[in-house]
Amino acid sequence: MLLVFLVCSLNLWGKEMPATEYSSSFLGRITIRRNQVISMDGTHELELEDIEVFKKNVADRFTDLLSPPDEVICTEPLMSISWLRKLLDVFLSCEAEFKAVFIMGRDPSQICKPPLDRLIPEFMERAVKALDICNAVSSGIDSVQQCQKLAEIVVSALEQKPIGEGQVNRAKKALSSLLTAMMVDDKENHCKGAERTWSFGRRGNTAGASKERATGNFRSLSMIVAKNWSASKQIQAMCSNLVAPRGVEPTGLAAPVYIMSTVMVFVMWTLVAAVPCQDRGGLASHFQIPRNLVWGQSMSGLQEKIAEEWKKKEKKCSAGLLQEMQRMEMLGQSLFEFADGFQFPTETQKMDEVRTQVAELAGICRRMEEGLVPLQMQIREVFHRIVGSRSQVLELVDADKVSQLVV
Amino acid sequence: MEPPENSNACGGEVAVEDAQKIILRWDSTASEEARERMIFEGDREEVDRYLKAVDDIQKSMSSTSISDDQDKVNSNTIQIAMARLEDEFRNILLSHTTPVELDSLAAADPSSSVHSSAAVEYEEDDHVGDDEIQDQIQRVDSSASNSTTSYRSTSSIREIDLIPQEAVGDLQSIAKRMISAGYLRECIQVCGSVRKSVVDANFRRLGIEKLSIGDIQRLEWDALETKIRRWIRAAKVCIRILFASEKRLCEQIFDGIGTAVDDACFMETIKGPAIQLFNFAEAISISRRSPEKMFKILDLHDALMDLMPDIEVVFESKSADSIRVQAAEILSRLAEAARGILSEFENAVLREPSLVPVPGGTIHPLTRYVMNYISLISDYKQTLIELILSKPSTGSRYSGDSTTPDMEFAELEGKTPLALHMIWIIVILQFNLDGKSKHYKDVSLAHLFMMNNVHYIVQKVKGSPELREMIGDDYLRKLTGKLRQAATSYQRATWVRVLYCLRDEGLHVSGGFSSGVSRSALRERFKTFNAMFEEVHRTQATWLVPDNQLREELRISISEKLIPAYRSFLGRFRSHIESGKHPENYMKYSVEDLESAVLDFFEGYTVSQHLKRRSQ
Repeated sequence: MLLVFLVCSLNLWGKEMPATEYSSSFLGRITIRRNQVISMDGTHELELEDIEVFKKNVADRFTDLLSPPDEVICTEPLMSISWLRKLLDVFLSCEAEFKAVFIMGRDPSQICKPPLDRLIPEFMERAVKALDICNAVSSGIDSVQQCQKLAEIVVSALEQKPIGEGQVNRAKKALSSLLTAMMVDDKENHCKGAERTWSFGRRGNTAGASKERATGNFRSLSMIVAKNWSASKQIQAMCSNLVAPRGVEPTGLAAPVYIMSTVMVFVMWTLVAAVPCQDRGGLASHFQIPRNLVWGQSMSGLQEKIAEEWKKKEKKCSAGLLQEMQRMEMLGQSLFEFADGFQFPTETQKMDEVRTQVAELAGICRRMEEGLVPLQMQIREVFHRIVGSRSQVLELVDADKVSQLVV
Repeated sequence: MEPPENSNACGGEVAVEDAQKIILRWDSTASEEARERMIFEGDREEVDRYLKAVDDIQKSMSSTSISDDQDKVNSNTIQIAMARLEDEFRNILLSHTTPVELDSLAAADPSSSVHSSAAVEYEEDDHVGDDEIQDQIQRVDSSASNSTTSYRSTSSIREIDLIPQEAVGDLQSIAKRMISAGYLRECIQVCGSVRKSVVDANFRRLGIEKLSIGDIQRLEWDALETKIRRWIRAAKVCIRILFASEKRLCEQIFDGIGTAVDDACFMETIKGPAIQLFNFAEAISISRRSPEKMFKILDLHDALMDLMPDIEVVFESKSADSIRVQAAEILSRLAEAARGILSEFENAVLREPSLVPVPGGTIHPLTRYVMNYISLISDYKQTLIELILSKPSTGSRYSGDSTTPDMEFAELEGKTPLALHMIWIIVILQFNLDGKSKHYKDVSLAHLFMMNNVHYIVQKVKGSPELREMIGDDYLRKLTGKLRQAATSYQRATWVRVLYCLRDEGLHVSGGFSSGVSRSALRERFKTFNAMFEEVHRTQATWLVPDNQLREELRISISEKLIPAYRSFLGRFRSHIESGKHPENYMKYSVEDLESAVLDFFEGYTVSQHLKRRSQ
C-alpha cells in the first residue's frame, strides 16, 4: 500500500527526473527502481493497469452479448434490432474508455514512436472506412423500413375479419413485392429464387407491377453509395494489418489501439452482415478474430456464430441477417403460399394459423417501427464518436509535425 | 371529381351493380384489353365513369343497410379498383418524369463567392501578382452583373411545377379514393418511389456525385475545390427549387388529406437524396486540416449558413428531424474546421523552417504568402468574426520554449479575437523572419531584409481597409517604427565604417616640421574609402529593395550622408593629394561618380549584369 503510494507520488515529480539519474539517497534508489518499471515506450505502471482494466471491460461487455442472462435471450435474440442496439452501446462504451486510456492527456511525442507510428495511421484509415460503413448501413436500414411498410400492408389486409378474397389479393400483391425486395441481392440482380415466386402467381400482370414497385424501393440501396463501392471490400481493407504479427499480442500503448481496432472492425462487420448493403459477397471469409486473444474470446465466439449464419444464408440471396428480417421472410413466404392458394371458405385451423402468423408479422413491424429509427440514431452517434476520436488523434499526430505551407 | 351525394337506396343498388360492372371491366388481371389501355390516358368521360363507380362502391360500403354477401362483394370489388387505381396512379407519375431544365436554374449566381483563392499563391513580382488578382476579381464581378438578365437567382425558395396541373388533378382524385379505402400505404409508396427516381436523375444532371468519405480524403485539394464550388451551386438549386417543389407537389397531390400523408410521401422521395447531398459537405468538414483549405471551407460554411433558413422550411416535419440536425452539425463542424485551420496556419507560420536566405535580401515568399492569406481572411471578416471566439494562444505548447514571441494583449483592449489573431500572425511572421535574417552572413543584409519585409507587411495592411481596421493604427505605427529602425540599422552597419574614412580626426599632425595634414594618412584614407565603397557598391548593387519608393528613399538617405561628407572631404584635402604623385590613384571618384554609383544600389543586379555595367 505504501509502495503504491510512493510510486504514485513519484510519478508526479519523477517525470522531471531523467531516467539515467543516479543518486545514493533513498529516494534515488526508488527512482531507479521506478525506472525499471517503465516499459520500452515510456508507459507508466499505472497506465499499464488502466490498459488491463480496459481489456477486461471489453471482454466482459462482449461476454454479455454472447451469453446474456436467460430472461434477456427471448426478447433480444442474436442479430435482432434490440441486440444490435446493445452491440452499439458496447461499442460506445469501449470507445469512451479508449479515449480515456489512450487519448486524454497523451503526450504527443509518444505517438510518433514505433510501433505507434505505423499503427496510428492504419487506425485512422480504418476509422474513415468505418464512417463510410455507418452511412451505408444507415441507408440499408431505410431499405429495411421499405420492407416494413410492405409488411404493414400485408398485416392491414389480413387482419380484417372476416378475410375476404379482395383483402387476400391485396396481401398477395404486397407479399410478392416484399419477397422480391428481400431476394434482390446487393448487386440488384434478381436471384434465381425470385423467379420461383412468379410461377406461383397466375395473375401475371400483378406480378409485373409489384416487381417494378419492389425494384423501385430497392433502388434506394444505391442512392447513397457509388456504383463501385463495396461493403465487403471495405471490411477486407479494414482487416488488413489487423492481426497481430506472428500472433503475438501488442503490449504497451499499442495494445489499446489494437483492441479498439478489433472492436471497430467487428462491429462494422456485424452491421454489414445484418442490414442490406451494396456488395457483401464473401463477407464471412474476410474477417476472423484470432482465437488466442484473452480479451477477445467472446467476440470471437460471436463472430463464429454470425459467420456460420451468413454462410447458410449467402446462397439464398437473403436481405441480411437482421433477425426481424429473417422472420419476416419466413412469414412472408408462408403467407404468400396461403394467399396464392386461397379459396374461400378456408378451414378454421388454417385461418387460425394464418392469424397467428399475421400477429407475429404485426409484432415484427411494431418492433421495427419502434427500433429502426433509434438504431439509425445510434449509428449516427457512433459516427460522431469516431469522427471525434479521429480528430483528437490527428491533433496529437500533428502536434509534432508542422503543416507545410504551400508557399 | 367529387364523390356523389347520397341518393336513395334503390337507385343506390343499381348504381352499385353498374359500378361493379365498370370496375370488373377494367380488372387488369382478368382481361387483355384492360391491360393494354390506361383509363386516364383515354377519354375523360371514361375517367369520370370509373371514379364515380369507385365512389358508389365506397358509399355502399359505408352504408349500414347492406347484406354481408354484398359487403363481401364490395370488398373484393374495391380491391380490384384499388389495384387498378394504383397502376393508373403509377402510370400518370411515370408519364411526367422528364427532369427539369436545371441548366438555366443553376447558372451564374450572384450570391456565389467572388473570393479568389488564387490570391494566396506566391507571385514572383509582387506588383504584377496583385494586379492580376485584382483583374480576376473584377472580371468575376462584371460577369455576374452582366448576366443579371439572363438567369434567375437561387437566393430563396422558388417552387416550380414539376408536373402539369391536369395530371396533378388526376393524381389528387386517385389519392383521395385510395386513402379513403384504406390504401394509403400503397399510394405513398408508388408516389415516393417514382418521384425518387426523378430526383435521382436531377441529381445526376446537377453533377452531384456519390463520393464516399474515403474517396474525399484521398482527393487532391485542388480537385476538391472544384467539387465544392459545384456543390454549393447544386445545393442551392436542390434545396430551394427541387426539394421545395417536390414538397409542394406532395402537398398538392394529397391536398386536404392532412400533413402526415404528404410529409410521408415527401420523405420517401427526398430522404436518400438529401442525405447523399449533405454527406459530401460532411466529408469536407471532417477532412484533415491544412491552411490552404481555409477559404473554400469558409465558402462552404457561408453557403450552408445562407441555406439554413430554407432547410428549416423545407425539412420542417418531424420525420425530417435527422436531416435538419445533420445540416446543423455540418455547419458547426465547418466552423470548428475554420478555427482549427487558423490555428494550424499560425503554428505553420511560426515554425516555417526554411533556412536558405532569400538572395538580395528581398521579400521572402513566406511574407507574401502570409500577408496575402490574412488579406483574404479580412475579406471573409464578416464570417470569421462570428467564428473566431478565442484569443490566440500565445503560450507555446511546450512550456519554457524560447522559440515563441511574447505578445502583450493588455494594450490591445477592445479588439475582437479575430483582430488579435491578425496581429498575432504578423507578430509571429516577424519573429520567424527575424530568425531567418540571422542566417545572412552580412549583418547589413540582415537589416535590409527585415526592412524590406516589414515594409511589405505595412503596405499590405495599408492596402486593405478591413485589415487595417483590425490591425489598428497603433500597431501600424509600431510596425512603421520597426521598419525605420531596420533602415537605420542597415545604414549604421554599412556606412558608419565607410564614413569613418572621411572623418577629420587623425589626419592633422601637429608639431614637428610640417604642421597640417599627414599625406600618407590621407592617402590611406582615400585608399580605404575607395576599397570600401567599391566593395559596398559591388555587393549592394546585387541586393534588392523591390519597392520603388522605399528604394529611392533609402538611396536618398544614403546620399544625404555620403555625398556632403565626401564633397567636404574632397574640398578640404584634394590639394594635398594633387600636390603628390598619382593623385588619380587616390581621388578615384568624383562626387558625380559617387552619385551615379548610388543609383546602382538595391537594383538586384546579378553579378554578370553588374560587371557589364561597370565596364561600360
